[in-house]
Amino acid sequence: MGGGSATRETGTINLAGAKSSSAVDLTDQIHHLPCCIKYDGPSPVSHYFKPKPTGVELDGLNVKEAYFRGRKLQGTTVPLPDGYSGFVIGKKPSGKRKASKDDVGTTASWEMNAKFQNITFWNHDNLPSKEDAFLRAFHWFDVAKALHKPVTNEDMKSASKFEATTTD
Amino acid sequence: MGSEGQIPEWASTPCIMGIDEAGRGPVLGPMVYGCLYCPVSYKETLSTLEFADSKTLKEEKREELFESLKTDATIGWAVDVIDPRELSAKMLQKNKINLNEISHESAMGLVKRVLDMGYLLTEVYVDTVGDPEKYTVKLSARFPSIKFVVAKKADSLYPVVSGASIVAKVTRDRALRNWNFDETAENMHREFGSGYPGDPGTKDWLEHHKHSVFGFPSLVRFSWGTCNSYFKDGVEVLWEADVEDEDESSSKTGKRQLKLSSLGFTGMKRKSEDIESSGKGRCKFFESRKLEQLTRF
Repeated sequence: MGGGSATRETGTINLAGAKSSSAVDLTDQIHHLPCCIKYDGPSPVSHYFKPKPTGVELDGLNVKEAYFRGRKLQGTTVPLPDGYSGFVIGKKPSGKRKASKDDVGTTASWEMNAKFQNITFWNHDNLPSKEDAFLRAFHWFDVAKALHKPVTNEDMKSASKFEATTTD
Repeated sequence: MGSEGQIPEWASTPCIMGIDEAGRGPVLGPMVYGCLYCPVSYKETLSTLEFADSKTLKEEKREELFESLKTDATIGWAVDVIDPRELSAKMLQKNKINLNEISHESAMGLVKRVLDMGYLLTEVYVDTVGDPEKYTVKLSARFPSIKFVVAKKADSLYPVVSGASIVAKVTRDRALRNWNFDETAENMHREFGSGYPGDPGTKDWLEHHKHSVFGFPSLVRFSWGTCNSYFKDGVEVLWEADVEDEDESSSKTGKRQLKLSSLGFTGMKRKSEDIESSGKGRCKFFESRKLEQLTRF
């Protein structure tokens, strides 16, 4: 399926800063809320949003509760798996050079502003659970690993064996 | 909270109880249900204790009466303090619970608590919430052994309810006076006024404490209509629990948009309501995990 006349866009994301220790670490401060807040910008989150542990454990998840705009939220903090990091990226203000360079397409350049190693996701009305789409999305990590792992000679052998037995 | 110590001997004799509420109308602070109970034989004495509807008494007088009834060995009392956070949350959740239902549950919780302690309640007087007849039926169904008297202005008709109203009102006033804000924003103060939406002091307090993103401190009952006028110039926040009905009516166009965007056709600015990843149109694995491929952001 083609995108018709959609213009091609290219972009770069520079995560180089991720390696430097100077990167802002937002671990324990990233919240995923079950609502749409029509606002982008800074806000005194820590003064108003006060998660508290409930002492309840469910599916091995420690349940927290917090209130936002009068709604009771129940959530849990999940670590990102080893080898993965969360990044907050922002559009790099494009320099004059880039703008005049070419008119073929727009080039977006992104850079990392902060990183994080866990995320707290919140439900409205429901307790957090392993069945929540948000946590289930983490399954992709394993699937991606299996899909992108280089195929070894042994894999090929065992696969052909398998094929042989099934077609018999 | 309530009477402490050993259960008195009179507990096993027939007892009456009065139930009343304080802080139902205010836009902030807890709603308090209070009850007062005593032996039926103490009814006469009760009417000499200058209890009157708590609203007609001065604050100092109420405090004084509360302290003296606490020391009266022939009177028991209990309160249920319903946090404003709980009120807002229940009234704004997906299956909304209205204030009348919350009130009924609280009153019945008090009856159950006192029965469970071992008091032989035979008559209970309740200031009505909603239709008195329906309320009586509800109460009688839950507690068949008790005779309920549900009336408008029960607090001025029955001394045992007047007593309960003092218990409730004093508890509510103290809770507000000693309120500890969960929030740590600067310049917060406790000059709430009466808490009623029309009170100029309360209006000033709300105006001073509103925040464009967070609304108000959690002392405020967000489910009160009054709050909406303060949110008008604030940031809009959309909840799934609220938009479901709208969705149904516009589902046709909604679906179309989602499909297009998940195929990467639209590329245009997405409505911020659709900003949640959906995975619609992809294979089951991704769809059930709401994993969407994002090529533009």
